[in-house]
Amino acid sequence: MSETPTRTPFWLDATFAGSAVALVILLGVAMAREWARPPLIAQRIVPALGVVDRCEHCHSEDTHPGEMLTHHPPERFGCTPCHGGQGWALTARDAHEARPDWERPLFTLAEREAACGRCHLSGPVPGAPRLEVGRRLLDTLGCRACHALPGAGETPPGLPLDGLSLKVEPAWVRWFLTAPENPDGPAPRHRMPRFDLEPDAVEDLVAYLLRPAAPLAAAPEGDAERGRTAVATRRCATCHRIEGRGGDFAPSLDLAGAKMRPEWLVAFLRAPHAIRPGIDMPEFGLDEREAADIAAYIAEQLVSDTGETPWSKAIAVDGDPARRAEAGRAVFARSGCRGCHVTADVPLDRPGAPLAQIAGRTAAERPPAADGEDPPDVPAFVARKVASPRVFDPPGGPAGVMPQFRTTPDEAVAIGIAVAALGGRSVPVEYRRDTAPRPFAPPPGVIADLFERKRCLSCHRIGGTGGDLSRIPLDGVGARLDRTWLARFLEAPTTVRLDQPERMPVLGLSPEEAARLAEYLSLTLDAAWSAEPVPVGDATRGEALYGRHGCATCHVHRGQGALGGPGLDDAPRRLRPVYLSTLLRAPERVPNGRHAAVRLSAGDAADVAAFLSTATAPATVVPATAATGVPSAD
Amino acid sequence: MADTPEVPPATGPRGFARRVFDSFWRVGWPRDERAALRALLQSLVLHVHAPKVRPSALTFRATWGLGFVSLILLGALTATGVYLMFYYSPHPSAAYRSMKDIDFVLPFGLLTRNVHRWAAHAMVFLVTLHMVRVFLSGGYKAPREANWVVGVLAWVSTLALSFTGYLLPWDQLAFWAVTVGANMVAAVPGVGPDLRVLLLGDAAVGEPALLRFYVLHCVVLPLVILGLVSFHVFRVRKDGGLVTTEHAPALPDGTRPRMVPAWPHLLYREVVLTLVTVVVLLAVSLWVDAPLEPEADPARTPNPAKAPWYFLGVQELAHYSAFWGGVFVPAALVLGLCALPYFDRGTAGLGRYFPRERWLACTLFSATMVFLAVVTLIGTLFRGPGWAFGWYWP
Repeated sequence: MSETPTRTPFWLDATFAGSAVALVILLGVAMAREWARPPLIAQRIVPALGVVDRCEHCHSEDTHPGEMLTHHPPERFGCTPCHGGQGWALTARDAHEARPDWERPLFTLAEREAACGRCHLSGPVPGAPRLEVGRRLLDTLGCRACHALPGAGETPPGLPLDGLSLKVEPAWVRWFLTAPENPDGPAPRHRMPRFDLEPDAVEDLVAYLLRPAAPLAAAPEGDAERGRTAVATRRCATCHRIEGRGGDFAPSLDLAGAKMRPEWLVAFLRAPHAIRPGIDMPEFGLDEREAADIAAYIAEQLVSDTGETPWSKAIAVDGDPARRAEAGRAVFARSGCRGCHVTADVPLDRPGAPLAQIAGRTAAERPPAADGEDPPDVPAFVARKVASPRVFDPPGGPAGVMPQFRTTPDEAVAIGIAVAALGGRSVPVEYRRDTAPRPFAPPPGVIADLFERKRCLSCHRIGGTGGDLSRIPLDGVGARLDRTWLARFLEAPTTVRLDQPERMPVLGLSPEEAARLAEYLSLTLDAAWSAEPVPVGDATRGEALYGRHGCATCHVHRGQGALGGPGLDDAPRRLRPVYLSTLLRAPERVPNGRHAAVRLSAGDAADVAAFLSTATAPATVVPATAATGVPSAD
Repeated sequence: MADTPEVPPATGPRGFARRVFDSFWRVGWPRDERAALRALLQSLVLHVHAPKVRPSALTFRATWGLGFVSLILLGALTATGVYLMFYYSPHPSAAYRSMKDIDFVLPFGLLTRNVHRWAAHAMVFLVTLHMVRVFLSGGYKAPREANWVVGVLAWVSTLALSFTGYLLPWDQLAFWAVTVGANMVAAVPGVGPDLRVLLLGDAAVGEPALLRFYVLHCVVLPLVILGLVSFHVFRVRKDGGLVTTEHAPALPDGTRPRMVPAWPHLLYREVVLTLVTVVVLLAVSLWVDAPLEPEADPARTPNPAKAPWYFLGVQELAHYSAFWGGVFVPAALVLGLCALPYFDRGTAGLGRYFPRERWLACTLFSATMVFLAVVTLIGTLFRGPGWAFGWYWP
């Protein structure tokens, strides 16, 4: 303990010497590490995107495959916006892998596709086809009903369910909620996913949905035969399947008599939008008698021959209706039904997590899969969840409420990609590409009212939006069709193409309404080419050209020809000469799928147009006006 | 002058260098005890040492080197801190980015940050142990009461420096640890929320908090701790050096041991301790990287959100009662430590660890410290998501 003052102990000297040596060695290691680092760092800095990418420290842009860099130059986009990873890092491990300070490793293929969607906010993206598919599915499957989704909201995709007891038979509801064959059920295009409810819960739900409602006014007795004729002349079969034939755009009406109540049908047919806002079906302007006739036709004739229906076998489970209705309300609220279906007494409460939040989840934040196979990325996670909604439920915890959608595995991945595209920081405005067409908005007032009541856009496209039931987009319709003919057609649709089933429904427009609508369409839905002068053609020469070019192979004219295209006998009244001449001369300017193969010189086109515009019966020639006529030659 | 070296000044470059050196160090290299005393007394830096010390004060177990190593660490923290300040940007939009640049690009950046981080943790730990050591040997008693109080304040400043520095990386760890810490402040009855606003400059951690913490960490608290530590060291000397010297054991012949000059005996030990400290710090920093988590995101709360480890005991206690555990216990601890020397005035058993004469004080103090250590360990290792008890190795 007590030391001799003049001597230092050996261990002190040894520690000194050892520490000094260790210090030299450690400093040497530090210097060696520093020297091993590159003196210059190759980096791309894109301040607008917050990007500092040092990828080119190891990689060269010259080796980038494909054409991507020609329209996404690295000096404007950097690397990590598309590829992920940590751009700041200088080692492959730090740059590529998930690290404690960087949870997002390099993007997988699906994540790269999703990354396109951060800038390409809408519209098709070349090279990312699944993104567009997924986005469409997000809208059409009704994901928004349960999950908050950025962007414009849509009306709830399901039908409002108040007063359902006035509409349908309980057995049908019971069957609809349970039958695994639902996809082939009464509405082939219906979007409702499968909820896999217990029979008791189904019965509760039936009791709740069919709770008593104030009865409808009694409807007059209809005549089924007259109703059958009305259904045929109104062309209901364009959308509905009736007596085994017709479209699948709307629910099948076969067996509708065994499902729906006539009084409700009458009320619905007279004012469909008052009872079902948001449906695609137009308001036909039926009077009470015609509506009653159609209801009688459905009730009497659209029933099963044998009296058997798929739902007649659905057995009711006993129970006190009032208590069941109360329990059913709880089932309705718990299962998230309210997301799609409005009822008065259940408030909207989205049970799903916001999709942008799901998109931002790192591997550590995603729940583990029940089978231990954790998806590698957000698209795969979402795809897994869509394909098997219960696989991420916590063991022992409450079961999730997400229903089973009828999606293919590819569709599920596409949905995952669309969801993953919602993650990440938002990009500056100058990087955003929002190419989706805006929905067409007719001018407020009588025209918008007509569009709204007659649901023109349920079937027709304008400016790239609208329904796809009609093959005739209304763009440029004013340049193609004669206004007078159009007004007559809107009032009482005639047959244009003999080879096609009649599809345009008889909408019940008054002559004034038809004229207003035709005027609007002619004046506003014009085309650039319609103002170009049409040379005065030689009809005689045109007739020869008509024969020489084999027009009769597809068209009927003066009783001769084939039914491959529209008949041309009414061309003078129906088609504007400028349309004819432009179509024949420059078919690409008049998008019309089947006419691209024909291309005539300007003179020939004018001659054929003159020939076709010459009425066969001079008495029906419509005088040329400023809007429709041939400009005077000068 | 009497101190003129015997050798006449050399000429040439060597002579010039010699003249420059001598202009600063005027007493020459001491060759005997007398010269050594003079050397110490002449030097601004060295004269905080007593010219002569008792041999028992030189033994390692007299201090365990805790105070001195803390001082060395403070020096290392200042040096590395200045280097980091050149590149660090105290704004939420740039702070995390500058951390990345320090780590990835700056020469010796990662090493500097590692040294700074590990030295800070070590300093919190060693300063606390230093306080325990001083208590157990009775070093807070007259005439050292004031220096004990200054020491307690320096300990609090150390914690405050560490806490303010914790926010600067602006990563998830920083953001949520400081959020938790600020929430503890808000548990003060009455003025708690206002205190939190005073601390953060806002209701929650954000841009004003980062700037405030930066200024506190880099300007205010370093000045405070510099003043406190200077005074502390000065008073150690003025209060008669180590408390051990008063009760140094007698030699077998009954005499007190002869005092030895601090030069070279004490200084040499200090040099060796400095070397060892630097070597250990460098070795740890070369092979263990300072933690960095993803960038701070107020929308993503980690579960559990934990305060820095030295506050986890308080957080654990606050879990039982926000006021009693989170406010009362820490405040009572600091105030009690400051008041201690003015109430515990017995003089028996000084200079020995855990002496029989002071068993009650030492037991109570040790129990308090063990209790704090245990709750800190529980908070660190045994608390998981939702502050549930379990085994959670970080």
